[in-house]
Amino acid sequence: MRRLLFRRTLFGLFTLWVVSLVVFLATQALPGDAAQAILGREATPERLAALREQLNLGGSLPEQYFGWLGQLLSFNLGTSLAGGTPVVSAVGPMLLNSSILMLCAAVIAIPLAIGIGTWTALRKDSAVDHVTGIITLVLASLPEFVVGVLLVLLLATGVFHLFPAVFVLVPGEQVWSNPAQLVLPVLTLVLAVSPYIIRIMRATMLEVLESQYVQQARLKGLPERTVVLRHALPNAIGPVAQVIALQLAWLIGGVVIVEFLFRFPGVGFQLIDAVTNRDLPVVQALVIVIAIFYVAVNLLADVVTLAANPKVRTAS
Amino acid sequence: MTAHRRHKSSHLITALALGSLMALSACSSGASAVQAGADSVSDPKPGGNLRVGIVGGSAKDSLDAHAPVTHPDQARVIQLYDTLASYDNEHKIQMALADSITPSADATTWTVHLRDGLKFSDGRPLTAEDVIFTFRRITDPASPQSGASALSTLNRDALKATDSQTVVFSFNAPNSTFPDTAAQYSLGIVPADYDPKKPIGAGPFMMETFTAGQQSVFVKNPHYWQAGQPLVDKVTIIDFPDDTARVNALLGGQVDAIDQLPLGQVNVVKANPAMKVLESATGSWLPFTMRVDQEPFNDPKVRQAFRLIVDRQQMVDQVLGGHGTVGNDMYSPLDPCYPSDTPQRTQDIEKAKQLLAEAGKSSLTVDLVTSPVAAGLVEAAQVFAQQAKAAGVTVNVKKVDPGEFYGDQYLQWTFAQDFWFTRDYLSQASNSGFAKSPYNETHWADQEWTELVTRAQATTDSETRCGLIKKAQQIEFERGGNIIWGFPNSVDAYSAAVQGLTPDKSGIPLTSFGFRNAWLNK
Repeated sequence: MRRLLFRRTLFGLFTLWVVSLVVFLATQALPGDAAQAILGREATPERLAALREQLNLGGSLPEQYFGWLGQLLSFNLGTSLAGGTPVVSAVGPMLLNSSILMLCAAVIAIPLAIGIGTWTALRKDSAVDHVTGIITLVLASLPEFVVGVLLVLLLATGVFHLFPAVFVLVPGEQVWSNPAQLVLPVLTLVLAVSPYIIRIMRATMLEVLESQYVQQARLKGLPERTVVLRHALPNAIGPVAQVIALQLAWLIGGVVIVEFLFRFPGVGFQLIDAVTNRDLPVVQALVIVIAIFYVAVNLLADVVTLAANPKVRTAS
Repeated sequence: MTAHRRHKSSHLITALALGSLMALSACSSGASAVQAGADSVSDPKPGGNLRVGIVGGSAKDSLDAHAPVTHPDQARVIQLYDTLASYDNEHKIQMALADSITPSADATTWTVHLRDGLKFSDGRPLTAEDVIFTFRRITDPASPQSGASALSTLNRDALKATDSQTVVFSFNAPNSTFPDTAAQYSLGIVPADYDPKKPIGAGPFMMETFTAGQQSVFVKNPHYWQAGQPLVDKVTIIDFPDDTARVNALLGGQVDAIDQLPLGQVNVVKANPAMKVLESATGSWLPFTMRVDQEPFNDPKVRQAFRLIVDRQQMVDQVLGGHGTVGNDMYSPLDPCYPSDTPQRTQDIEKAKQLLAEAGKSSLTVDLVTSPVAAGLVEAAQVFAQQAKAAGVTVNVKKVDPGEFYGDQYLQWTFAQDFWFTRDYLSQASNSGFAKSPYNETHWADQEWTELVTRAQATTDSETRCGLIKKAQQIEFERGGNIIWGFPNSVDAYSAAVQGLTPDKSGIPLTSFGFRNAWLNK
């Protein structure tokens, strides 16, 4: 199992390198450069020339790429072209904010979804089960920005005025300083992520509950509680972990749209801005971080699946 | 499904509730008219924090007085720095930091005299040397700023202070519109040791905090030259790249005012008794730009045909939701010299077809490059493409992202679009009309026109100058490269507690971001 993990990690690093190369080439293929994007309508030839000189845009493509890669290996992410600040200090706070948003969503969504999934599996074909089935299907088919807009209408601007509709971060404060502002973005993410986990949890649980070892446990006269928690649940977690990992990986993409909708100061918000500004150092840094997250989450899911599978666990 | 039905019915209930509220307020408005009148003369209450949501904003945001790019940049620059002259709500020039700006007989030298006792926000006096530094900084050839193009004929080395309150500006060519230039918001006066990181100016507010792409907070400038202004203690400017978030922030009470209310939301806001819509007719314009030196537009008949294809009223109705006025292919409608007696051009498909046939360009196909760089551009392109079908012209709308629009092809597109705020004719002409102008998208280089406008620039007598401008406008009406189908209104929204925001013709939102006059009735 250790060798498997080592191989996966190496493959992950290779993936990161490919991602950095693809992103570099993709940003180069975008029409226009940072100077043009920053000046926008004011991009007269004289001002362009002056700004290009200030930003030090130039050099051949390989030169630029290997320059950036070299800096990266010495943990120097360079300077943002648009803001003129070091990339680390520009990206760091945004990364923290997004992580908090995702963490809140994950901490609420995962136990909740596993709980609901298990519960509906135990009450198969009851009214609760059917209603949950329909609701999760509807939520799964709605794009997250639709869910977000509906929540805003319902809870912030239209019917009730319970929570702030957008996120306004007071400089110097942290995103958790005003928790009421976090409610709607987190709720949107929870509603977007949970349905898949609930459905897979229910399906897997049903399968497990019908298996021989669960029947055996019941025949032994163990209380139903112990049967479910000790025997069924651990065996159902394996496949569910894969789906959770997929959902977490999706979160960091979904967070882009949700952040834009709620004006949440996170990586998604920053990435859109950086691409618009052709701010290559910031785009590269953000994409690498997102890719690391993808790779890490998938690696973690593999570990959980392996650990939850007694055959694999005992073989090593 | 059940969840959905519940949503719908609750909306219905809200709509009904809102409807009855509106009916109620309509019934009672007659009775409360006297009350409202009394309310509006009540004394302004000083104090409070005015929070404003503004479209756009990005990591590239800056506080540099002379290089505003995004809308929040504009809003910040107007709070921090004052100019020598400024525009009032009717788009007339008024003196600001200067109390007089006087030309020589041939308009090649201008003498600017500053008001008495002017101070920067840090308490230091504002002198002629600071004015000279400001104009040299803007026109620095190594790093020209936004205003440099309008000052291309300024002899920057000959700028001279005759005393601590008087500056003499010399120009290499006659420049009858210098006060107009001096009133542009990107020409704010800064101290001689100016550093954009410590933005000292003579505007109504001073910077407290600034986070690019997020928000900035400004506090009252105690040394402001206009007595009794500003009224509020603080202004918070919050960046909103997304339209929906901006409107939601206003409806949810997180901001007191927003600029550029999306047209789809106008009725939603109007139906809310706690909100007000601020609508102003402006001289802003969103032209289609045809390059007069490129096929097929190098033939004036084709340009004329394209102008006849446009159903202008339909454009205003569909693109602007009726919030605008019809254009007549000439810009600067608020200029006192605008030829408003020229007959209105209207759609004439038969004539357009005939002109295209004469030019040998029947069944023409063209690409129209558009980009969402200003509200309504993409929609206008789509409506135009529809209208062109009737004349047998195929218009392929090519939508590109702003980065590409302003990329290598910027100002080189054969058939594209642009947007401009209100400007008087000569100032607009120097921006976009001459072969050497920085934004000449149509590559207009008409000799007769150039001579007329050059003469107008050198003419200080306003009546003679108007005559020349009218002739120049007539030339643009006959063979120019712009299709000017309309002038959009500026539409903003604010909470009913905000007072002192009035309609303004500049096209710059929220009374030209005039927060120094605003106060909160809370």
